[in-house]
Amino acid sequence: MRRRAWVVTVPIWIGLVAVPVVSDARSVITGTVRSQAGQPLAGLVLLEKGEIHNNVWHGGALVDATGRFRIELQAGGPYGVHVYASGYIYAPQAVRVESDKTLELSVTLVPEPTRANDPTIKRAGFFPWEARQGKVTFVKLDVGDPNDDLGPQVMAFNAATGQAYAMRPPRPVRDLKANFPQGVYQLEIDTSRAPANPRDWYFVVADHQCNTTDILSFPHEPKPPRVVQ
Amino acid sequence: MRLARSRGGSALARSSRPAGVLLGALLSVSAAWAGDWETLVADGERWWSRSPALDQPVACATCHHDPDAIRGWAGSFPKVRPMPPPYTRVMTLLQATAEAVERHYALRDARLPAVAISAFLAARGVGLPITPGVTPDQPIFPTRMRALAESVERGRRLYARRCGACHAAATIAPRAGGFLRATAEPMELFLEGHRPAGPPIPWNSLAMADLLAYLLGHRVGEPVTAGGPPEVQEVSR
Repeated sequence: MRRRAWVVTVPIWIGLVAVPVVSDARSVITGTVRSQAGQPLAGLVLLEKGEIHNNVWHGGALVDATGRFRIELQAGGPYGVHVYASGYIYAPQAVRVESDKTLELSVTLVPEPTRANDPTIKRAGFFPWEARQGKVTFVKLDVGDPNDDLGPQVMAFNAATGQAYAMRPPRPVRDLKANFPQGVYQLEIDTSRAPANPRDWYFVVADHQCNTTDILSFPHEPKPPRVVQ
Repeated sequence: MRLARSRGGSALARSSRPAGVLLGALLSVSAAWAGDWETLVADGERWWSRSPALDQPVACATCHHDPDAIRGWAGSFPKVRPMPPPYTRVMTLLQATAEAVERHYALRDARLPAVAISAFLAARGVGLPITPGVTPDQPIFPTRMRALAESVERGRRLYARRCGACHAAATIAPRAGGFLRATAEPMELFLEGHRPAGPPIPWNSLAMADLLAYLLGHRVGEPVTAGGPPEVQEVSR
């Protein structure tokens, strides 16, 4: 019974994550990310499609060293924009994008006064599923949190496809306001056409109190967080 | 202020109109609270600026540091507060503040700090118009406005069922919302305790938000005032 459920759910999951984000995009979200001192900040922008905090993750973009980002959308409408930079409290913002228009945002991030309460990413890894002959790869993230108040934002971002994912917790959590468990979060990705390239993948975790990890990029070796001065 | 309370109480004794009964009830509570508005606002500013937890120094003001950005908050309630599904719903300023305080400050009972912070935010918004569902410099979301309209309609029905027998809405509505000038008590807490018939409407419930969405809908465009609507202040002078 358990195996049957697994067989049914995995293809659905793969189908969900294989949908490309951008095609014939006309609506655009673009903007600049800065510190309160006006310094441009590199980082990551992730989008929820629809009402903010609905946990329906859609797309995203890297923020370059000049603090600029640009996300092309399939359609206008409401989106939840979440902006992350290492050492800063992540900033959520509800926006409404007009069809065929460009929305310009100016985001100011505030440094975290302490990193003691931040979630921690202990390890990240990519594991081809041998039984599926490499057509499926598991992306796994071992996550801890000193306050034990993780939320649904255990995020993975594939910069090659522009797709953002909330990773699946170690055990199901129905209530999105509940504290999510610590442990290994994972994501199944379709690698039937091309193997996963770890260089494309970025990870970030924010808890219910907005304490945010550094953005973990390739080679995915976590470093001790530091307070931004 | 003390003299004003006394006059308000006398007015209550003389009044036989239903509206007078409610207004008098509002003012009669003032003995314990009156004159505390400024103190409450100051408390709220402290809660806003400093986290109560030494090990969690992130306060409201850490992220919401722009004073201009928060000025329009008080007048924009009741409105839809987006949260993880299925929790997104219409909330009053006090309810939304309590939710945020509970989550970010990890307090078991967020009511008192939420009352103080709401007073602080209301004081910041004095003079700006009451625009439920609409925050200055923020986009308007049609789905949220539809949800607010549904809330107003539920509030209208609830008012007719629970309040209409004693209080004409047209008389009460202009006096509703925010804080009671004389008592520095938020309307939600007053109404929770004001239950001549039927079970109480919890201060943090959707039903309370519906009721105040309906009543505040009558005050759209009026300026936010420190401590309550102008009519209440007028009587309490």
